[in-house]
Amino acid sequence: MVLLSMILLPILAAPFAWLGEKVNKDIPKYLSLTVGFFLALCTAYLIAKYPGSGFAFEELYKIYPPFDFNLHLAVDGISLTLLAITAFLAITVTLSSWNIEKPGAYFFLVLAFLGPMVGVFASLNLLWFFIFWEFTLVPMFFHIGIWGAENRIYAAMKFFIYTHLASVFLLLGIIVLFLNAHTFDFMNLLGIKLDPGIAKLIWILMFIGFAVKMPVVPFHTWLPDAHVQAPSPISVFLAGLLLKMGAYGLLRWEIFMLPQVSKFFAPLMAFIAVLTIFYAGFRALAEDHIKRMVAYSSINHMGFVLLGLSAITAAGISAALYEMVGHALIISILFMIAGYIHHKTHTWYISELGGLMKKIPGLMTMFVIGVLAAVGLPGTAGFVGELTVMVAAFDYYGWIMVIVPLASALGAGFFMWMLQRAIFGPLREAFKELKTLKELPAVENIPLAMYIAAFILVGIVPSMVFNLYNPVVNAFAQLFK
Amino acid sequence: MNINFLAGTLILALTGAFLPVINRIFRISGVLGAIISSVGYILAGFLIMLSGNGRKLLSSFFVTDSVTQLIGMLILVASWMTMLVVYWITQRDKFINELVAALLISTAGALLLISSTNFVSLIIAMELMTMPTYLMVLFSFDEKSMEAGVKYFFNGALAIGTMLFGVSLLYAITGSFNFEILAKELFRDPLVALAAIFILAGFGFKLTAFPFHFWGPDVYDGTCPGVAALLTGISKSAAFIALMRVVYEALPAISSNLTFIFALLAAITMTVGNLLALAQKRVSRILAYSSVAHAGYTLIAFAALAVPVSVTGILYHSVAYVFMKTAAFLCFAVFLYLWGARTMDDYKGLGKREPLLAALFLIFLLSLAGVPPMAGFISKVFVFTSAVNAGMTWLALVGLLNSAFSVAYYIWIAKQMYLEEPTIEKPLNNPSDKNFILIPLAVMAVFLIVLGIWVNPVVDASAAFISKIGF
Repeated sequence: MVLLSMILLPILAAPFAWLGEKVNKDIPKYLSLTVGFFLALCTAYLIAKYPGSGFAFEELYKIYPPFDFNLHLAVDGISLTLLAITAFLAITVTLSSWNIEKPGAYFFLVLAFLGPMVGVFASLNLLWFFIFWEFTLVPMFFHIGIWGAENRIYAAMKFFIYTHLASVFLLLGIIVLFLNAHTFDFMNLLGIKLDPGIAKLIWILMFIGFAVKMPVVPFHTWLPDAHVQAPSPISVFLAGLLLKMGAYGLLRWEIFMLPQVSKFFAPLMAFIAVLTIFYAGFRALAEDHIKRMVAYSSINHMGFVLLGLSAITAAGISAALYEMVGHALIISILFMIAGYIHHKTHTWYISELGGLMKKIPGLMTMFVIGVLAAVGLPGTAGFVGELTVMVAAFDYYGWIMVIVPLASALGAGFFMWMLQRAIFGPLREAFKELKTLKELPAVENIPLAMYIAAFILVGIVPSMVFNLYNPVVNAFAQLFK
Repeated sequence: MNINFLAGTLILALTGAFLPVINRIFRISGVLGAIISSVGYILAGFLIMLSGNGRKLLSSFFVTDSVTQLIGMLILVASWMTMLVVYWITQRDKFINELVAALLISTAGALLLISSTNFVSLIIAMELMTMPTYLMVLFSFDEKSMEAGVKYFFNGALAIGTMLFGVSLLYAITGSFNFEILAKELFRDPLVALAAIFILAGFGFKLTAFPFHFWGPDVYDGTCPGVAALLTGISKSAAFIALMRVVYEALPAISSNLTFIFALLAAITMTVGNLLALAQKRVSRILAYSSVAHAGYTLIAFAALAVPVSVTGILYHSVAYVFMKTAAFLCFAVFLYLWGARTMDDYKGLGKREPLLAALFLIFLLSLAGVPPMAGFISKVFVFTSAVNAGMTWLALVGLLNSAFSVAYYIWIAKQMYLEEPTIEKPLNNPSDKNFILIPLAVMAVFLIVLGIWVNPVVDASAAFISKIGF
């Protein structure tokens, strides 16, 4: 019942956020925070009780067994890691949105987003996975479209149509898979024998769906628009959860389910990953818009995740998962602060910024810490993630992967150059008298501090993340032999 | 046919027949008329629920099987909700009782149509379903509805004429109208194929399938939207089921010839419908062309008639369609009544004016677009599954791409409602009982969501039908 309640409670609580606004404007945010803590408590309980390997906490709700349309929920170490991120971001995003306009509708959509998000990570039935997957689009569309920046409507429409189009390929893949395997259940699909041609078709169709969500070059064009136009807390959801859905889907429903086909396509994945890393890196270097730059750095990091996954080994997968955790924590703080910079200076452009450190040292110190983590400073999650991914890729593909550390240097380059132009240096004349340019209120500082604490903690003690899913990954790694 | 089902149909038709008479004598108010019709609906629904057991009669003309019961019940609910909304938006019109009477009789015709297993009863039932709608289309008495009415009448006459010609060819070959006998006697023959094409053409008019779709949007746009809800949602769903019976029960002999025709028609119909819908400025025309596109999706399942799951696809799509299309047109009708909103520009900011109504409209639009967890999603899953299963992956891909592009105009309406600033300043009508109208629409939304997750009733009914026709 724990997993089902984690899905249903946010959805059932959502209308109360809407109704509650009419009574008191504070009800929606406290409700959302309560649900966030509920998710966190449930996840903590699940992690504490988790036996260490395999699937646990199975729940099977039979709806139509002949068609295998059953809500089958269970979690393993991998899902638990992502559920923990979901709960963590639910709390921080709520705190970051403390003073949002129209709180009723906003938190209604936040809660309507969280329920299916848990479902994506906890569902072992492919059709239900798709149902949850697809439903997350709707709240996101309204979040971007209503609370977004000036070009929000274009971004929301593009986001919805683009990702829905991708999901169509995923759905076709699911249908072809069902007709050949006669089941949607992960347990039965594991180790299924399919005709090699069909299996490759399924793999390609599903990969298009996952690749757009991750996103990787050349399917990434929706992301910079969506990220730039979305309000900052929603950018956190986009980067921290929505992109993880793509990587998680690729891992669970392609690499574990069709290991031999994935091995066949591994060089393709590696090629796309390296392409993504370099392309996004160069785009970020050329970008003057600060949030767009962070968005491209996010694509750059997802390239590392894909690179880790493309090394079809236990080491690669566990490195990719770690990178996912690190990315969720680090990119969130960067998006939040990029949004705050625009809020305070009324400009998005790095060329118009300068010397912010002198005026708001507290916020900018946090920004610098976040940027250093994204670059891969030892002692933060960014370092461990990139290092393990590179080692795994090097191990699997050999010397050719020597180019990847160059990309890491590229990342350091665009971030440092941005810091030098926007944060350090002399303070601009225009900012000297600017009234809005001041430190954040406490409630908005809490989530930022939480992100920093989390990625430093995870960076110093990586084993707390690795230990959660390594037995699972090692067990699945037997399939790749 | 089960006697209870027949009694239910008759009660519905008689309620319809006597409503104008009662009105002439007692001059009843709108609310009373709605109550009387509701009683008719409830009694009919109760009897249809009981139609599982009881005496059988007219068994060479009609059948009461699982499909009839399920679709009959759902058509009845959709029609009831349509009746309530129509009453509410036109309550001040003096001919409202006549309009609702026509709606009841047409629904009775639809109930007979879905149980016909004989071409005679099929054509009579189809005429019973269509005749009242000829009057209903004319209901707003303006130039546009006159044009729509004439167009609809001639197309309907042409449709029934072509269908009768096809049926008479079949009679010439076998000497029978009965589906069971036809299925046994028919053989692969060019004449049979010709007859089948004429019959399909007749159905094509009813379903607004390409190339017989031209009248659809003009009529749905010209008439008052409550009537359009009946025409697109209920009549078309019933026609889907009737076509399913014809194809699976009467014409299995040439089903392999039909596959390609259906596949081609499906691909063209949905593409044409979606492309034209994208180009429209008026919301009613968008919904009309989306209904053309949805006819195309159903034809995909027909094209896959070699595999059993195609029955599930047809049935599920009809079930989802009857609720989502009817309800979408009803939402349009209510917006037209309250705010006079016709075009996309008028829809700007209506989400802020009518949050709950717009939310319901959004549910129906998302269901039409095939977004889970609404029934429109799972029905599309079944439809495309049947196409892939029948070895027509290309058709499934065409359908899925169409469905993905169709999202553009559904979400465009959502965008106009929620993301733009209002343009209309003052409501056209501002009745005090505004929240009452949400109830019928919410009922339909609940049906859509429940049927989108609880698939058992529809899949069980289709399983019974599959075993009956013996795949």
